[in-house]
Amino acid sequence: MKQNLVNGDPAAGLSGPEQAEPGSGGAGMTGPRLARAGGVSLGAAGWLRWGWRQLTSMRTALVLLFLLALASIPGSVLPQQGIDPAAVTQYYATHPALAPVLARLSLFDVFGAPWFAAIYLLLFTSLAGCVLPRAFRMARSVRQPPPSAPRRLGRLPHAVSFGTATGPAPALDAAAGLLAGRRFRLRTGDGWVSAEKGYLHEVGNLLFHLALLGLLGSVALGGLFGYKANRLLVVGDTYANTPTAMDVFRPGRLVSPSDPQPFSLTLEHFTATYITSGPQRDQPSSFSAALRYSEYYGGPVRSYDLRVNHPLVVDGVRVFLIGHGYAPVFKVTDGTGHVRFGPQPVPFIPVEQAGLTSAGVIKVPDASPEQLGFAGVFLPTAVDVGGRLASAFPAALFPRVSLVSYAGDLGLNGQPQSVYTLDTSHMHKLAVAPVPLAPGQSIKLPHGLGTLTFTGYRQWISLAITYDPGQLPALISAILALAGLVLSFCVRRRRMFVRAQVGAGGRTVVEVAGLTRSDAAGGFETEFAELAGEIMQGLSGSAVGSLPGDGRPGDGDLGGQAGVDGPAVDERAAGAEEGAAGAEEEAAGAQEGAAGVDGPVVVASAAAGRSGRDSPALAEPEGE
Amino acid sequence: MTRLLRARDMAARTTRILRAVLAGSALLAASSCSGGALAQNTPLSSGQSFVEGSFSSTYFSPGSRPAAPAVKSTLLTGQRFSLAADRGTVVVLNFWGSWCAPCRQEAPALAALARYFPQNQVRFVGVDIRDSVSSAEAFQHTFNVGYSSLNDPRDEVALAFQGSVPPAGIPTTLLIDRTGHIAARVVGGVSYSGLRALIAKVLAERP
Repeated sequence: MKQNLVNGDPAAGLSGPEQAEPGSGGAGMTGPRLARAGGVSLGAAGWLRWGWRQLTSMRTALVLLFLLALASIPGSVLPQQGIDPAAVTQYYATHPALAPVLARLSLFDVFGAPWFAAIYLLLFTSLAGCVLPRAFRMARSVRQPPPSAPRRLGRLPHAVSFGTATGPAPALDAAAGLLAGRRFRLRTGDGWVSAEKGYLHEVGNLLFHLALLGLLGSVALGGLFGYKANRLLVVGDTYANTPTAMDVFRPGRLVSPSDPQPFSLTLEHFTATYITSGPQRDQPSSFSAALRYSEYYGGPVRSYDLRVNHPLVVDGVRVFLIGHGYAPVFKVTDGTGHVRFGPQPVPFIPVEQAGLTSAGVIKVPDASPEQLGFAGVFLPTAVDVGGRLASAFPAALFPRVSLVSYAGDLGLNGQPQSVYTLDTSHMHKLAVAPVPLAPGQSIKLPHGLGTLTFTGYRQWISLAITYDPGQLPALISAILALAGLVLSFCVRRRRMFVRAQVGAGGRTVVEVAGLTRSDAAGGFETEFAELAGEIMQGLSGSAVGSLPGDGRPGDGDLGGQAGVDGPAVDERAAGAEEGAAGAEEEAAGAQEGAAGVDGPVVVASAAAGRSGRDSPALAEPEGE
Repeated sequence: MTRLLRARDMAARTTRILRAVLAGSALLAASSCSGGALAQNTPLSSGQSFVEGSFSSTYFSPGSRPAAPAVKSTLLTGQRFSLAADRGTVVVLNFWGSWCAPCRQEAPALAALARYFPQNQVRFVGVDIRDSVSSAEAFQHTFNVGYSSLNDPRDEVALAFQGSVPPAGIPTTLLIDRTGHIAARVVGGVSYSGLRALIAKVLAERP
């Protein structure tokens, strides 16, 4: 470290934010160990700092992400109170000993559980704590001027020197002018020019990190202000986006019942077509729901053809078609001769997909003398399979309804109950011949209890209504993150250094050196050679060979050759800590250089393992 | 030195991991866009399938009351109804359905209260939602409800309240004061004494 500072620190900040990350990666992990090794005892502040580093390390973030995934498993294995309260009740009945324990662990409400919240809050903190400081550092490095030129340019991975008759000062001016013309950012000093280009790399990095934060914020936005709702809608009916019209309403944390956008839509028509032959028989081939909707009560009415994966977007809310089925229409007359129910479509729920056999119930709570209930199935294409009824095809080609009739107490006085189940515990079954009904046919109930008529059927669709204000910001953030990523991959920061001084014989010796990150795309050798060549031509200089200085063997004028025997030499020359990897790169680089360049290339393949990431920079002293 | 270098390596790796994670999630997002066939498992295959109002009672003090929307509809009796025409009386607007168990439980209390308060001071109006006319009439008959209801299968009345104080579930009872402002909302079944006290409070206010 010291050595590099003495060296003039050519790579200072070049690989910028990835160096000396106090708040990320493994750097934090080694913190306290180092401190203890140094004989410094950690105070409370030290431990806090250590804890913060642990929390904001990428390792912790990944562990938390994994935990989050793991923690959501019980949410899909066990019934959830918010989604399916009936199933939770069922679970209590079947597992009386286990259920209270699970409930205590919030396992019936996983996504609202404190431990679940703890995980995602920690993950949020971890990611924000990791990304924010990095973003600040990068923002700083975008504005940074180039560092001063190192004393011995020959130690840099790309270096060339030549002699010229021009004096040192005009020579430097000429070089500076040329580099400025190439849009390098310049800094000059006594006998040197330092130039840097490719700040877009940092801009890209910064963009990526900020976009990542934006992504986090968007997710939070959706979770707080978004909502989801479901509604089963029979053809001809209207859905209004208000809680009483929803079958299921799952609001975000900060959503009140008055927040849903006041649109309404009417299902005019629904068509489902099915494949009638081949191995995919009975599979649906298309669905289309003709909607008429308006954005607010009394607003202009528009039409929309709702199909799968083609949601209706109205006032920022997206309405998806997610299911369909049949709603047979019934009319029930009670024992007093009054119509007490319908004619009204009753949605039946598919219990089987191939033939869309659907089950449902009809409740007539206001029938007298006794409440009436019916449970049964709707068969779109009824066939007799060995004495049992089944549906052979999902389209309603031969619709039939088969019902069991009950009379008694429906239990509809107090606790809410599902409109899809019939509680027959206080009802008695009526003796009715089990004959399937065709449209228009009736069941006459015994003891003068009344009549049920199956008048026809309609289709229904189920809609998922989602509002996620974080969606667009999330998309924009993702695009920006990707753009930033591409930018930081494609643009490299590279530095050029020029030193000029009066050498032996009164001629000016000009040294040109270049430096870039090693982990970005290649090609700098070519750029360097061109720049160096132009500088030299501009000064009508002549090559004087390798740079003076380290007295290394193998510092040839010919890049290719230098590359060939490079690795072994370099390692020695640079005294590098990590030879192998760097040397390999170097060798490859040198070959490239030799191949594509015809200028006065003197690629000094020194300082293996010095370029870019491996540069012993650690420039920022505040970087601990 | 080596330790520091390792630390730096890890830092560099951190960025790469970060990038990989993002790139991965972007791919995931892209691939999850393409859905399969129409999902057949309807969310309604279980559960009670309506938004039940868990009990909550909110009273708005006179200065901070949202204005009730202009509701115009037809009663089950065939008469026209306009909420604005009822200025000067307190209006009790009860959202109900004949199929809804808590609604059936609170119905006797509402019917009794409608008889308890003088009609020229307190007007009761029901809003029957997601119901057929015959079921609604049967319900009115069963509970001997003395006031009529708007049949609102399209939820237009509830929608009109969207943005102010909408019914947050079934049943919901809204109290509208003499000036046409929403004075209270009770979500869930009402009790005779509870609602009577609330109505009396609004009634006692100086117009």
